[in-house]
Amino acid sequence: MKLLLAEDTRDLNRAETAILTHEGYDVTSAYDGQEALDYLEEDSFDAVILDIMMPKVDGIGVLKAMRENNILTPVLLLTAKTEVDDKVAGLDAGADDYLAKPFDMRELLARVRALVRRGREYNPQDMSFGDVSLKANEMELSCENSVRLSIREFELMQMLMIHADGELSTDDILQKIWASEPEANEDTVWLYISYLKRKLSAIDSGLTIEGERGGNFKLLDTQAA
Amino acid sequence: MAEESIYGPYRPELEKIQKELLDDINSLREEIKAKNGMDPVEHCLSRIKDEDSMREKCVRKGLPVTTESALTKIYDAVGIRVVCAFVDDIYKFRDHLIALPGAEVVEEKDYIKHAKPNGYRSYHMILRMHGKFYAEIQLRTISQDTWAALEHHIRYKHDISKSNEELIASELKRCADELASTDLSMQTIRDMIFEENKRTDGSESK
Repeated sequence: MKLLLAEDTRDLNRAETAILTHEGYDVTSAYDGQEALDYLEEDSFDAVILDIMMPKVDGIGVLKAMRENNILTPVLLLTAKTEVDDKVAGLDAGADDYLAKPFDMRELLARVRALVRRGREYNPQDMSFGDVSLKANEMELSCENSVRLSIREFELMQMLMIHADGELSTDDILQKIWASEPEANEDTVWLYISYLKRKLSAIDSGLTIEGERGGNFKLLDTQAA
Repeated sequence: MAEESIYGPYRPELEKIQKELLDDINSLREEIKAKNGMDPVEHCLSRIKDEDSMREKCVRKGLPVTTESALTKIYDAVGIRVVCAFVDDIYKFRDHLIALPGAEVVEEKDYIKHAKPNGYRSYHMILRMHGKFYAEIQLRTISQDTWAALEHHIRYKHDISKSNEELIASELKRCADELASTDLSMQTIRDMIFEENKRTDGSESK
């Protein structure tokens, strides 16, 4: 897990870096906002911790620059200010959480854990099941052959892979994947299941999807004993 | 006559094979059309390889430029390309052609199930007709045909710098995989409509 920590107070930076490193994180330390931006440009992180009051570019400035550049890495803001306005400004600028100074190190660690956990959901990882791999950045489904999936197909395939040990109901799928589209119904789900079945067969995979229109679905490995 | 044909006196025989295969393709085409009202074939091209290309191919393959090479060592003197609307139809034509009396499969390459690394998809087969001459048949969908045509344009009309080569190759592969995915989606939609029609036809008594 790679963390970027931007904190201008030397002692605090050193203490935070030491404790996070001790917890097993791979920590990159920056001492001002510009340095943080430079690191963000050349590397990617699983979470970013930003002090608000920093020389050159402040924490809010770094955060805004990140979001403008479509860097969606979760951000925790550290602030000496306890003003409500600052908290609101930070969250509105795209922060995922904030922590007011002075804070207990245990709370910092707990918030970082929560942030990293959420980040994993935001940035789907590459997955594999049976003979099939699903690449997140490319939305590529591959076995002997490969095809590119649409976003809904990708999300459905990912959901089926995650829940391969149980069944998914048509409703589960509608609520998770078509939450923002009230016009979607069981036929929509069935069509997308049918797309995936055909595409699994086209890449010559041993996987298939069990289930009927409107019912429950399960990814099945026909080659597994 | 200026120059003797590379095919010697056998050109009429090649034309006969060409017609025989085209007739077989057309019979399945009519059968499917009668059954579901849609022509499964978008277009069908065929040719006897022209003299110059055949001679050039003999040279390229290190073969003597003779009628024997052209007819027995090179397999695409007769070439047919069937461009289908949907993926499933390709396999229907494949099955129909290999069942043609006198046709023997010499080679089959399913670049649809196993696309070439560059993304190229097509079904290739070489048939030997009546134990004598060969024909090469390529079966592909409209979008596979589109990709092949556009890929050719992109690669052969422009110089690609070495530094861009890798990016362009991977992007063309991505396009092929996206088109393949779209092909399969459209086939699924068609099948769903067929299923629906079947259900409503079945429940309505005329």
